[in-house]
Amino acid sequence: MKIWRYVLAVVLLCVLVLAVYVVHLDRIVTSQFEGRRWTLPAQVYAAPQELYTGEALSAPDLEHELLRLQYRRVDQIDRPGSYSRQGDRFQISLRPARFADEARPATVLNVASSGAAIAAIADITGKDVAIARLEPLLIGSIFPIHGEDRIVVTPQQVPPMLPAALKAVEDRNFDTHIGVDPLGVLRAIWVDARSGQFEQGGSTLTQQLVKNYFLDSRRTAGRKIREAIMAVLLEMHFSKTDIMTAYINEIQLGQDGDRAIRGFGLASQFYFGKPLVELDVSQVATLVAVARGPSYYDPRRHPDRALKRRNVVLGLMADQKIIPAADARAAQARALGVMGRGSGGYYPAYLDLVRRTLRRDYREEDLTEAGLAIFTNLEPRTQELAEKILDRELTRLDHLHKTMGAPLEGAVVVTAPQSGDVTAVIGGREAGFDGFNRALDARRPIGSLVKPFVYLAAIETGRYNPASIIQDVPVSIKVPGSPDWQPENFEHDINGPIPMVKGLARSLNLATINLGMDIGLDTVRHSLQRFGIEEDPPRIPSLLLGTFGLTPLEVAQLYTGLANGGFKSNLRAVSAVLSADGKALKAFNLDVAPVAQPDAVFEVQMMMEQVIQRGTGVAAQSILPTGVVVAGKSGTSSDLRDSWFAGFSGNAVAVVWVGYDDDRVTGLTGSAGALGVWDRLLTAIGPTSVSSVMPESLHPVTIDFNTGYLPAANCSPQPVTVYVPMSFTPPAAPAGCTAFGPHEPSLLDRAGKWLGITH
Amino acid sequence: MSSLLSGSIPRRLPPLLVLGALGLQLSGCAIFREPVENPNSPQPAQPAPGYSGQPTSPYPAPPATAVPAPAPAVPPPTPAPPAATRQFHLGTAATTLVAQAHRQAAAGDPQLAIGSIERALRIEPDNPLLWIELGEIHEAAGHFDQAAGMGHKALQLATGDPHAQSASWHLIADSLKARGRNGEAAEAQRRADELEPQ
Repeated sequence: MKIWRYVLAVVLLCVLVLAVYVVHLDRIVTSQFEGRRWTLPAQVYAAPQELYTGEALSAPDLEHELLRLQYRRVDQIDRPGSYSRQGDRFQISLRPARFADEARPATVLNVASSGAAIAAIADITGKDVAIARLEPLLIGSIFPIHGEDRIVVTPQQVPPMLPAALKAVEDRNFDTHIGVDPLGVLRAIWVDARSGQFEQGGSTLTQQLVKNYFLDSRRTAGRKIREAIMAVLLEMHFSKTDIMTAYINEIQLGQDGDRAIRGFGLASQFYFGKPLVELDVSQVATLVAVARGPSYYDPRRHPDRALKRRNVVLGLMADQKIIPAADARAAQARALGVMGRGSGGYYPAYLDLVRRTLRRDYREEDLTEAGLAIFTNLEPRTQELAEKILDRELTRLDHLHKTMGAPLEGAVVVTAPQSGDVTAVIGGREAGFDGFNRALDARRPIGSLVKPFVYLAAIETGRYNPASIIQDVPVSIKVPGSPDWQPENFEHDINGPIPMVKGLARSLNLATINLGMDIGLDTVRHSLQRFGIEEDPPRIPSLLLGTFGLTPLEVAQLYTGLANGGFKSNLRAVSAVLSADGKALKAFNLDVAPVAQPDAVFEVQMMMEQVIQRGTGVAAQSILPTGVVVAGKSGTSSDLRDSWFAGFSGNAVAVVWVGYDDDRVTGLTGSAGALGVWDRLLTAIGPTSVSSVMPESLHPVTIDFNTGYLPAANCSPQPVTVYVPMSFTPPAAPAGCTAFGPHEPSLLDRAGKWLGITH
Repeated sequence: MSSLLSGSIPRRLPPLLVLGALGLQLSGCAIFREPVENPNSPQPAQPAPGYSGQPTSPYPAPPATAVPAPAPAVPPPTPAPPAATRQFHLGTAATTLVAQAHRQAAAGDPQLAIGSIERALRIEPDNPLLWIELGEIHEAAGHFDQAAGMGHKALQLATGDPHAQSASWHLIADSLKARGRNGEAAEAQRRADELEPQ
């Protein structure tokens, strides 16, 4: 009988091992699930659309903003997230929303538009509302690398249809089983065999949750057993409601590059751009379909499969009396209605800037796990316009130049002149692609974009003003260890003595170098430093022609200072950060510091207007609305590799770079390439004129653009208005209409020939 | 997107138009007292286009016999004259936000107040009154460098409006005094008083 004792011992041992194993699993289940806090990636929001009487927002613009937030147009508003429109009158049921400074409950708003602007806003009782805002668009989240992204929902934020549909499709005995459901497995096999297709699975929702929550995705027998045991343990400790809520927040519903789309809350935003609670029956059924196999039923990549599966789900919902059969048929006839990837408010280049801003102040875990709410200055409208226009113009340029090899690339940064708010960032032609962010990382020679700072530095010395005569004549500069530097104008011309305004407007290299060498390289470098350049440009004469590299974002910092009248505001992508419970953690306040003499900056701004009126930016005039005065500067690096344009209206600063990633020659000047993006973008934004006010110490004078003399009728003048100190009066033209100074045109010609320079 | 309310004045608006539209009481440090309704001044959604001030070209027309001079494609910009030609005031939305900011500051939450003024500044970025409001909140919160920056920015925008210029100098004087720069503070105070005798 000894053998029985051995058997008994082995059996006891097995039971003991199993018991220890179960206890071990029980610990895992209770400890991990009890204190379950999903890691919550920080949610990032765009700037909210403000609504106030007098605002230049037309009825179509307002409707566009509502549709961007996926509001439904209905005859009579019902739930939050819907609106009705009769002509120019809107009634909007605003969703509850979290802003940087308040939590706003759901509200009804009446808005009347008068063609181009908002005429009146009232609340539901008819009382005037001075200012209101739409909720901010969710533009993304900061999730860990190779990590899970999710938006957690509470049971109240779940449409009741969703758990019902999940049970009907995945786990009919969910309410009664103990975590595993052997009968369910049998029925699934029976149903699938009969219908010849895969309609039902055998795992309970609890098992699926365990699989997602605790286990990796290997399919082994051991794992299956472990999954079953843990499912039973989970059911012993937690209520059915808890388990359903956990399932809804845990399950994977998509993959977006490195980002795992977890939970129905995020999936609803990811596929439909709106809160889960607002989904209709067809959309709920689509998500339930996707839950079965997020990659196999990916509604973007495999819309046919997803649609077929969705209709199966709708059929099962009707069978189970969750919805009337007629509703199911109506929903089955509908399209999937999934947003395209590009249209979904996905702005990787901007998010990249947000992430870099925050990494200075927050630990990685805080950003990816702590559920922060991050409010940014992104304007979705500006961002989308910039994306579209950049791509369209680059396509046009590619066709024009019959490019060989990789197509042209580009980058755009848009800021608000008076605050430094970054309203748009485009990191490349394929704006929806999270790749090389040229706006932040492409450091390219800025060419003549540097020139306004040379002229500004000169005016700040007190020795120059826009009417001062400077010499556009050949120059030879000794460079230790190399041959003398003998730069030329772009068109190889020599203009002799000219007023400063012409030197800047026409971007004349020789005039600029003579001016820069006169005031000294350090004066120019100092001016750039004050406006916020991150790395000092090398102390060599060619810095006057912008041979040093800057990123488009750095250029935007410099030009925002010019647009802001010589005040530096650090560029801001982030405006505020709130904790998960809505407490303000950090505000990125608007900051402004004077960095240049306001008078000198005004003089330079007015010269930059002449760049558009009669200089290298003149082509913009046929694009920009008539009567709107803007200012800018072109930039071209040597051998035409980089094409830049930077400048501003009263309401936007825009910087555009166009070039090749491998630094090939583009054959494009700033005017031929980037300008076409810049002027179209400003025009689409709806520019206002540069709003600077003339300082009291200056007065306008009109001079001849070519000579700097007072325009004399008999000298065929090209009159141009410049702003100069009160004490300065331009001289009258001498008899004979000669240019300033001792030069004779014939002498110039001879000098040109002698230097081997042709006109 | 900046839509200009009646408070922010485009560079080239006729001074008379501006003078007509008053609605704000300025006194002491508080630029703003109560929400002001301004029934007489319509609020244009867009700045008035075009130029004003000088109806005729400032340079002589070429004689009929001469070869026609190349005419500029766009008339040269003509700035508003610098003298006391305008008075800033706030639009309805900004007025509401400033009142809200005052309540928030009074309740001991300068950060919320700053947020409200910054929101107003997105609507009227060129209005010096808002920069002064923002500067005063920073000053009260002990952010003296920021307050000084706002004061200088306000001063730049306030050209032509002695009230706003004076208030800007007040703010600059306060921020200097707070940083112990008493000599400069006295000078700034003198300029404030000159512009707006008490």
